[in-house]
Amino acid sequence: MMRVLRTIPYTVIRMSRDYITLLLLLVVPIILITIFYFVLGDLKNQYGDPAFYDTAQLMTLVFQLFGGSIVIAHIQDDLFSPRRQRLMVAPMSRPFYALSISLCGMLYSIFLGFLLFLFTGIGLKVEWGNGFWVMYIIGLLAVLSSLVSLILIFAVKNFKLAERLSEVYGIGCIVLAGLFFPIPDYTVITFINEYLNPLLLAANAIGYAQSNLFPDAYIYMIRLGVGIVITFIIVFVLGRRKI
Amino acid sequence: MIASLNGIVKRYDSKLVLDYIDLDINEGQIIGLLGPNGAGKSTLIRCLTGMETVNQGNVTLFGDGKKPFQNKNKEKIGLVTQEISIFPELTAQENANFFAGIYGLKGEVRKRRVAEALAFVGLAEHTKGRAQNFSGGMQRRLNIACSLVHDPKFLIMDEPTVGIDPQSRNHILQAVKKLQRNGTTILYTTHYMEEVETIASEVVILDKGQIITRGTVQDLIRNIQHEERIKVEVSHPEEVSLESIQALPDVKQVIKDGNQILVVSSANSGHLDRILTIIKEDSGVVGINVEKANLEDVFLTLTGRTLRDGGSA
Amino acid sequence: MTVFHFVLKRSIANKTSLLILFLFPVVAIFLPSGEYWPHLPYGYQYFGIFILFISLKLSGLILEDRMRGIAKKVSIAPISHFSYLAQNLLAYFSILILQCLILVYGGVLVGKELYQPFWLFILFITFSMASIAFALMWISFFRNKEISMLIFMSIISVIALIGGVLIPIELLPEILQKIAIMLPTFWLAWGIDWVVFGGELKEFLLVNGMLILYMFLFLITGSVKKLH
Repeated sequence: MMRVLRTIPYTVIRMSRDYITLLLLLVVPIILITIFYFVLGDLKNQYGDPAFYDTAQLMTLVFQLFGGSIVIAHIQDDLFSPRRQRLMVAPMSRPFYALSISLCGMLYSIFLGFLLFLFTGIGLKVEWGNGFWVMYIIGLLAVLSSLVSLILIFAVKNFKLAERLSEVYGIGCIVLAGLFFPIPDYTVITFINEYLNPLLLAANAIGYAQSNLFPDAYIYMIRLGVGIVITFIIVFVLGRRKI
Repeated sequence: MIASLNGIVKRYDSKLVLDYIDLDINEGQIIGLLGPNGAGKSTLIRCLTGMETVNQGNVTLFGDGKKPFQNKNKEKIGLVTQEISIFPELTAQENANFFAGIYGLKGEVRKRRVAEALAFVGLAEHTKGRAQNFSGGMQRRLNIACSLVHDPKFLIMDEPTVGIDPQSRNHILQAVKKLQRNGTTILYTTHYMEEVETIASEVVILDKGQIITRGTVQDLIRNIQHEERIKVEVSHPEEVSLESIQALPDVKQVIKDGNQILVVSSANSGHLDRILTIIKEDSGVVGINVEKANLEDVFLTLTGRTLRDGGSA
Repeated sequence: MTVFHFVLKRSIANKTSLLILFLFPVVAIFLPSGEYWPHLPYGYQYFGIFILFISLKLSGLILEDRMRGIAKKVSIAPISHFSYLAQNLLAYFSILILQCLILVYGGVLVGKELYQPFWLFILFITFSMASIAFALMWISFFRNKEISMLIFMSIISVIALIGGVLIPIELLPEILQKIAIMLPTFWLAWGIDWVVFGGELKEFLLVNGMLILYMFLFLITGSVKKLH
């Protein structure tokens, strides 16, 4: 256990040196959100609030969907590449090591979400409501997305395919949420968006909390939580076989 | 005894990769594990280190046959992998520190060992450089340093010199010898027989999953050496009395080819001196070449195939 | 035409590539239309972004050749650098033409309102040319395929937004509208507007002319760097 703990600083260093991830999950959203800030200006939504608030919140959450890429890239590098041999002969628990990488990846993703939250909240004056609640929901979304990515990497043999599928998960959630184009009102899609689409679950949890409708916010938060429990069980079962 | 394999059988589906392997590795040895590609060398290492479960037989590490792969034993083993398995985004020092950490090194000892391991492979000047910016040879050396950082009693090196420049290769071979002098036991796998001839105190030749022979380089060569071939380059070949040479005991064949005389005789006949005396009576000697057998010939004799590609000779 | 032949073969070598290449235009046909904007159904509006991505994915083969040392072998073979590049680009272009055909005339077949399908097809073709050239220039800056793709993703999302493909250009602040003129997607968006609302032919020629100009600009920049 202690030995695994000693690896954590190096995992953190490695993640912080992955500049491409920083570009994709921090710099790009900042640029895009800023452009929307100028585009939407003083435009109001149907409730009379600035339309930019909704966009900025959704964009911040959207990028959490892709945070799982951090975890699976490191799991792949350390446990499914030639480096695996070294870790197999080392006097250290591999499952614990996998857990530590996953937790680091999730925390890193949450940290990037936190920076976006700060940027939009302080820099662009977006009203988010209770900051702790927002960060809690962002955290849940990041954890769920990482778990989904982990299921993919454990279930699919080919890493590239797992990576693509995790992108499909992210883009799929965005498309189903109707952010690219209006989605027809089919019962199936409404059900998915109401109970399964993590992007909308998180957005609703934050939105309802902002309107002080906490019972509704809790419902969406619990749905996210249930998603995490289920995906965690799957990750646990699949991971035990693969690691 | 450092390690011992008894009757190890390993199959991948129906393919038999290791076929009843018995191997003892004693303290202080450099064992050269030699075999063509696909002979089963890497699988043997995987079984020896517990990366792969065996279908039959048992592995003993440091006298422990019950739980050979428990952490207490793993701490004493270092593995230099065939592929470079380091973190490209970390510096040399950070890489060594990471592996020191997972082997339980702490504080000052850890600091000292990291510095020593990097200096040992000649990377003392590059501790702050990121591995991804290193040349292939430097990355290979860092790969070795990461396996040495916890000062293992038993070092397993799986083809550590594949694809590197001669300078780095020499550095690695010298380092291996130095490690042995410091008391480390080394299992060195390769398909380059020159490397084994240079460093190994004992050679194990593996082919098609079986150990076909083992012993010191000299022993193995002696066992297969049935004849020697002496080539003498002369100034006046037409003057040399081939009959006199042919008349020597144990000489099997004398051939004149241009200004070269080739004499084939039984091994260790001790004829070199006599042949030279005969030739010098009628001609001058320009050059001499005594062809000796090497490990390639050992492999060839035992399997009928060449070592490099495993194909027919 | 050996290079052309094998590039085509490699591009559609596996089922996933084939699926991505030809399923997407079919799916795009059936995407819905917007209420006020975009004027063409979403599948057609976003097709430009798809073309950009496909161009980079296809031209990744050149980068792969460079990474694997195949480019070195080609450079000492009796085939010119120009011919190697031209055959590569021609192969990518052939695939893109097929995709544009599927999208536009597939849409016509299922009765989508495309206003002037032929001119839309021509617009997509010229944009494909500019896009392939852009991809060639892009990969000339990189040695690693994955990294080039990831950074490309970042840039494209910004270009698409500013260039008027994702949102109407009029909504952008003035300064961004001015910057947008420099982006090929701006001309694509303009071209789409022309296809929908009609206008003088010379306006459409200007749009296509600009895209072709971009193509030459990118081609020159991209092919200056020797493959090895």
